[in-house]
This record gives sequence, C-alpha cells and structure tokens, in this order.
Amino acid sequence: MSPSIHSQPSPGAFAVATHGLIKRYGRETALGGMDLRVPEGAVYVLVGANGAGKSTTFKILMNLERADAGRAEVLGLDSAEHGPRVRAQIGYVPEHHAQSYRWMTCGRVLQHAAAFYPSWDAGYADHLSRSLGLRLERRMGGLSKGQTRRVQLVLALAHRPPLLLLDEPTDGLDPVVRRRTLTLLAEHLADTPTTVLVSTHHVHELDTLADHVGVLNEGRLVAQMPRDDLQRTVRRYRMEVPEGWVPPPELQPGELRRSRAGRDAQCTLVGEERDVVERLAATGANVRDVLPLQLEDAALAFLPDEVTQ
Amino acid sequence: MTDLALHSTPGLRAVAREQVRAVGLSLRLPALAGLALLVLATLFVGGEVVRHGARIGFHPERWMLPGVLGALLPLAVWFGEDRFGGAFLWTLPVDRRAHALAKVFGGWVWLMAAIGVFVLWLLAFALLSGGNVLGAETMHMATPATSLEPFDPATLRSVRWGPEPVLWLVPFTAATGTYLLASALMLGPRQPWRWVAGTIAAFFLLTIAMETSTTPWLRGPFSDVFQALVSGPYGLEGLLIAHTEGLRAEADVGPGQSITYWQSLPDPGGWAAATLLWLAAGAAALWAAASRHRERRRP
Repeated sequence: MSPSIHSQPSPGAFAVATHGLIKRYGRETALGGMDLRVPEGAVYVLVGANGAGKSTTFKILMNLERADAGRAEVLGLDSAEHGPRVRAQIGYVPEHHAQSYRWMTCGRVLQHAAAFYPSWDAGYADHLSRSLGLRLERRMGGLSKGQTRRVQLVLALAHRPPLLLLDEPTDGLDPVVRRRTLTLLAEHLADTPTTVLVSTHHVHELDTLADHVGVLNEGRLVAQMPRDDLQRTVRRYRMEVPEGWVPPPELQPGELRRSRAGRDAQCTLVGEERDVVERLAATGANVRDVLPLQLEDAALAFLPDEVTQ
Repeated sequence: MTDLALHSTPGLRAVAREQVRAVGLSLRLPALAGLALLVLATLFVGGEVVRHGARIGFHPERWMLPGVLGALLPLAVWFGEDRFGGAFLWTLPVDRRAHALAKVFGGWVWLMAAIGVFVLWLLAFALLSGGNVLGAETMHMATPATSLEPFDPATLRSVRWGPEPVLWLVPFTAATGTYLLASALMLGPRQPWRWVAGTIAAFFLLTIAMETSTTPWLRGPFSDVFQALVSGPYGLEGLLIAHTEGLRAEADVGPGQSITYWQSLPDPGGWAAATLLWLAAGAAALWAAASRHRERRRP
C-alpha cells in the first residue's frame, strides 16, 4: 500500500479545509476520512484515478451531497450549514457535461446566472465568451460537449468568485481551446484574487499554474504538499546494488516504486535527497543518479501501478 | 478565518423575478400551442354565434379546463431539469427548497396569466353574443330522479338567481389547486410517471374488483371514499367547478324534449370550504416535496 505523505501546511488561512470527511454510497466508500487543506490563493491540483473521490469532494464542498461524517469548510464557512453562502463564493465547473436549459440560448443562460450572483461582471463575461469563441445566440441544446464546457467555464469565472472548483475543466476541449482556456485561467488568476481547486487527469497542463498537489486514491488523500516540496522530495534513484539487496526497512514507508534489472536498481523514493542517499549507501547500494521528476510523474508516483498503467 | 470579502447571495425577490422570466421563456412553445387552440375555439364558437345567434352566458366557474391546465403545466415547468441529480438549479447560491418553490412560483404566475386570458376570452364572447354576465337568470329547480322514483316534471319550479361574482375566481383557484398538487408530484418522487401510472392502474383494478365483487365490504368503502374524494362536499369537483356539474341534471319532459334543472343553487360557501381544503393539501404536499431537495445539513 502507498504511504500517506502530508507536508506541514504553511501557516495562514485555508480556502478549503475538510476534517475527516467520509462519504459512502451503499457499500462503496467514496471518501474515507479526507483531510484536505487548500491554502488561500493556491492553485491546488487534485490528482486521482476515476472514482477516487474527486467529484464527490467537490459536491460536498458545494453542499450538493451530504457527508456521512466529518465536515467541510470553504473560506471559513461550514458548507453543510451555509450552503447558499458557500456556493456564492464558488465558481464551479462540474465533471459532467449535461446541458441544462436546452431551450435557452447561451446568452440567456449567462443572463440567467447573472441574476443569481450580485458580483457578476457582465463585461468580463463578454470578454470570456469572445475569448472562448462562444456564439451567444446558439441554443444550449445544440452545443457539443466542448462548447458546453466553454459555457460552464464562463459561468464559473464571470462572477469572479474567491474559489474556483474545476472538475476536469479541459475535458472535451480541443487542443486550441484547451490552451486558450488555460491562458484565460492564468489571466484570471492575475486579475482576481482566487483560490483554485482543480481535479484533472492531465497534470502536465497545469504545470505552470499548480503550486499545491494532493493525490487521492480510493477515497484517501495519500499525499498533500506544496508543489516545490513534492518535486524536491520525490525523486528517482538509480543505483548499483549487491546480490540479494533489499531496501532498508526504514526506507520502506517512503518507497513508492522500484524496478530491478540485474544489479541495477531504480527506485522512486520520498525523502530529502541527502538523507535517502545516506540510507541507501548504508545498505550497500551505490547511488549513481538522482533524477528529478516532472510534476505529473511525481504526483502519479503515489498511486499504485495498476492505477497509473 | 479568511480576510477575503465574501460575496453575497441574491435576494429572494431577485430569485423569484428571474424564475418568472426563465420559466416564461421555457413556456413559449406550450403558450403558442395554447394560443393556436384558442384561435380555433374562437373560430368555432364565433361561427356558432353568427350562424345560430347563440347567446353565451359568462360562467367561468363551469369550465374544467383551468384545472386540467394547472395539472399539466408543471410538466413544462420542470421539463429537462435534473431534479435529483446535479441540476444547474441546485448549484446556484440560493437555499435549495426556496429555489424549488421560487420556480414553482414562476410557473404559477404564468398560469394565472393564462387563466386570466381564458376568462377574458369567455367574457368577451358573453358580451359580444349578448349573453348574461351580471343579470339575474331564471333557473329550473327540482328534486332529482332516483332509481325508485322517476323524474316528475310537476316538481319543477323556477327561481331567479343572480350570478355570484366571487365564483369567477373558481378558474384561478382550481388551476392553483391542481398546479400545487402536480408540482408536488413533479418535485417529490424520483419517478413521477410511475406514481401516476401506478395510481391509475390501482384505480382501474379497484374499480373492476368493485364492479365484479358481490361482497359489500369491498364495494362500500371504496365507492364511498371515491365519491367523497370526487363529488363529496369537499371533493375535487368543488375545487374544480364549484360543484356546478353535480348540481345540474337533465330530464326528459316530453317526447324529444329535455330540460336542464338544478338540484340546488351553486353555493360559494361550499366552494370556498372545498377550495381551502384542497389548496392547503396542495401547499402541504408541495412543501413536503420541495423539502426533499432542501440543503444537506448535518444530521
């Protein structure tokens, strides 16, 4: 089983904090005691396989689902006690692409949403619509999956919420619009003080934006740390090892992935590099290379092989 | 705790206003269909008036149509809304139960507008055809025929009866009552059509069982309950048409001649009691149904 790694959170307020969140659907456990901490102003990427509990987490934060135990706070508000106030702070892009109000034009849908957000910025909504190539006169019912996604993005951003919950935001978008969307998101973050909690299967897309990472596996948060900590502490070690070598027991909790070919071994390990090298050396391993990992590789290293393959 | 200035939620009045607008947009197609039917009806009734000089009295309380319209409208109001899933409606920053009720209110406003048009249409025909609106009418009254005693024309008597303007409200209250009940049906169960189909199937099965059964314990109670529910003093007929149908009967008074007579005169008091009862039941059912969508507070 993968270890659970949580670096000490930085002091300061959390835009999102969950405390022992548990959610079950029948016998299935969607969330098994989740303690999520998203610092204010962070771009927090939540990584996990399908069914890991990402969307369930978002729904509980929006108070669209009730947790069986534990609680969730958004900007200091208990989401189960202040559902409407919490939703007023959130720009939400849901996982599904179901089209609501198929008979409405895109422009009317934006107008409709504007009535519910006193902070709605009509000029900004126009700008976003133009940038994403939305044709406002088109009916929702006639939109493709990608076009629906664009409408959802405008709906989420145009009221300049303090928190964005983006559930696979680039899913269904073609590469050009995907890039444009990420550019818009970067511009939005530059203009508007926002915390972003984003779930994605494409961590590399958010490489330039992400500053915190959480890894969710089968409803458990197996890692949660600032991006710099993740990339500093999760490294690949190439080494020459003696016959019958086994990793030292004290490294086992940090060992994530290991491959061996002859006397050459390769491990992805968690820990401060100098400390890990010293421990490996003490077991007779001769570390030849220590390689940094891309953000996506470092995050996926916390997931079991059968999930990442 | 955060130092950020939190965004505010919309006022309930703004939510209701927007729902009235949005529901109005969603009802454009049914409204056009209704308008087309009204034009056809105008041509037909207008033709009758011109050809036969028919005089049409103004009796909006005798029409079943508003009640039917109220029962059907929630289908259009909630069409395409994923009520038990992640509907867009529920992601908005409004208390969920209040939001559901605001949407129901939006539909009700348009329903009342449609009923208003219908009543004005009836009034226009009454005025144009020279029919009675507010003047006293002569009505035939008699005791009803029974299976034991045939109708006796000698019991017929004529009375002068002035229309009760308060009964002009019947189309509005009838539509409201059925709209509340049907809205509750749309909002409460996950599969409203299964409930409708189940109720109809149960009704037919019970009716067949009642008709074929010789055991009084089955015939009696079901028949009594059904009668009470439909045409009893507080029955559905009271809500829908102020009992004006049940109070009227037709009898043969000679070869090829028949006459419509009243068993008793329309009673605004009885209508008000039945209406209050059904409106209260509808409101309670709607509240319970909307409560299924209330905010997910911790148990």
